[in-house]
Amino acid sequence: MGGTVKYTEEELVHQLGLKDQQAFSYLYDNYAPALNAVIYRMVEDQALSEDILQEAFVKIWNNFNSYDKIKGRLFTWMVNITRNLTIDTMRSKGYKKQSKISGDENSVNNLQDGNSGIEKFDSMGVAKQLVNLKPDQRLIIDLAYFKGYTQDEISKQLEIPLGTVKTKMRTAILELRKNLQYF
Amino acid sequence: MEVKEIISSGLLELYATGLASSEEAAQVLQWANQYSEVAEELNQIQAGLDMFTSAHSIQPDPSVKDKIFARINEAETAKVVPFENQKSDQVAKVIPISSFWKRVAVASVVLLLGSAVLNVSQYKKNNDIAAELNQNKQLMSSLEDKSKSMENDLQVVQSKYSTPVSLNGLEAAPDAAAKVFWMKNTGDVYIDPSSLPEAPKGKQYELWAIVNGAPVNAGIIITTKKGDRYSIQKMKTFGKVEAFAISLEPESPNAATTPTTVVVMGKM
Repeated sequence: MGGTVKYTEEELVHQLGLKDQQAFSYLYDNYAPALNAVIYRMVEDQALSEDILQEAFVKIWNNFNSYDKIKGRLFTWMVNITRNLTIDTMRSKGYKKQSKISGDENSVNNLQDGNSGIEKFDSMGVAKQLVNLKPDQRLIIDLAYFKGYTQDEISKQLEIPLGTVKTKMRTAILELRKNLQYF
Repeated sequence: MEVKEIISSGLLELYATGLASSEEAAQVLQWANQYSEVAEELNQIQAGLDMFTSAHSIQPDPSVKDKIFARINEAETAKVVPFENQKSDQVAKVIPISSFWKRVAVASVVLLLGSAVLNVSQYKKNNDIAAELNQNKQLMSSLEDKSKSMENDLQVVQSKYSTPVSLNGLEAAPDAAAKVFWMKNTGDVYIDPSSLPEAPKGKQYELWAIVNGAPVNAGIIITTKKGDRYSIQKMKTFGKVEAFAISLEPESPNAATTPTTVVVMGKM
């Protein structure tokens, strides 16, 4: 994870509020690869993806004061900034892959996206562990965490009642944590 | 709710994946503050998600990081433009001029001087007007800000969901008073600190909500910046509160975990 200092999320948020560049460097090292993947899966173009990533981090630096931890985790906030920037860029470039923007085409498509993402970019060798996740479990985490869907949108996308989103998310994460024990 | 129930509620997972509403998120943070088991559970959930994140990572080109740092640093340093000396090694030639042209030259110099004087006086007038305009603009925008903040204050007070709670001075400060507005529908909490005395040097006021008999920090009250002290400020959100209190704490950017000197208090 680079760097000698390790921050908790709370310290990181505090330091970034003070415009500490060392903390920002840590933030980049730890989150840029994941955010880059979020963008890449929408634009499927490495150069464009890195351009958007650059914009996203400059925006995160400049607008850090608008982050409010009461509203959710830092990573979630960054994913939302990144996603919105990607959508804006794709719209302004008259991007052809409209279906990727709406993301609402059908769940089967999204499911396959999720799979290819994991197989192609397994940087830490953990993909095998993730095989233990059922496709619908992987999908629900993916939609919420990487695509910024709301509970309501997930319930529509997966055609399950709102209350079930909560229980499904819990079983999915419990399954993930079983995998953790193999490390 | 018991710790076991909290852990199995599924809310912690919703919070960690960004699905929780702001009300739920505030609730989760409060539980994590209150119970170490909940905080530990939340850590475990986040560790699981971090692994999921790593499996989804694509390492960007190293140049991207350099470009980002170049850009955020560029914005902070002013550009330096080198000053070039102009060379003047050409020697002027002397050309004889007829007396007619000499008179024309004198006349044009006089005209030029006259127009320059006029220019200077016009320029000065212009500047005065511009300065006046600027002053008016500043006054206007400060009035606008003031009226906007008053409008916001009024909205809080007039809302049909607003429940006012009067906080009255305790022994430490019998003359102090403050008002809290709690929104029935959203749990939003607003504080009107205008009747609090100026905080002593090195101290700051912090608001507390009493939940299940225990004080939970609701945030730092701004009283130092001029003007802010008279407007209503939004604090942390609470779904269920028994009472509100304000304490004096040593000045710090971080909110205290337990109140030191409670100055005012009021029950719901």
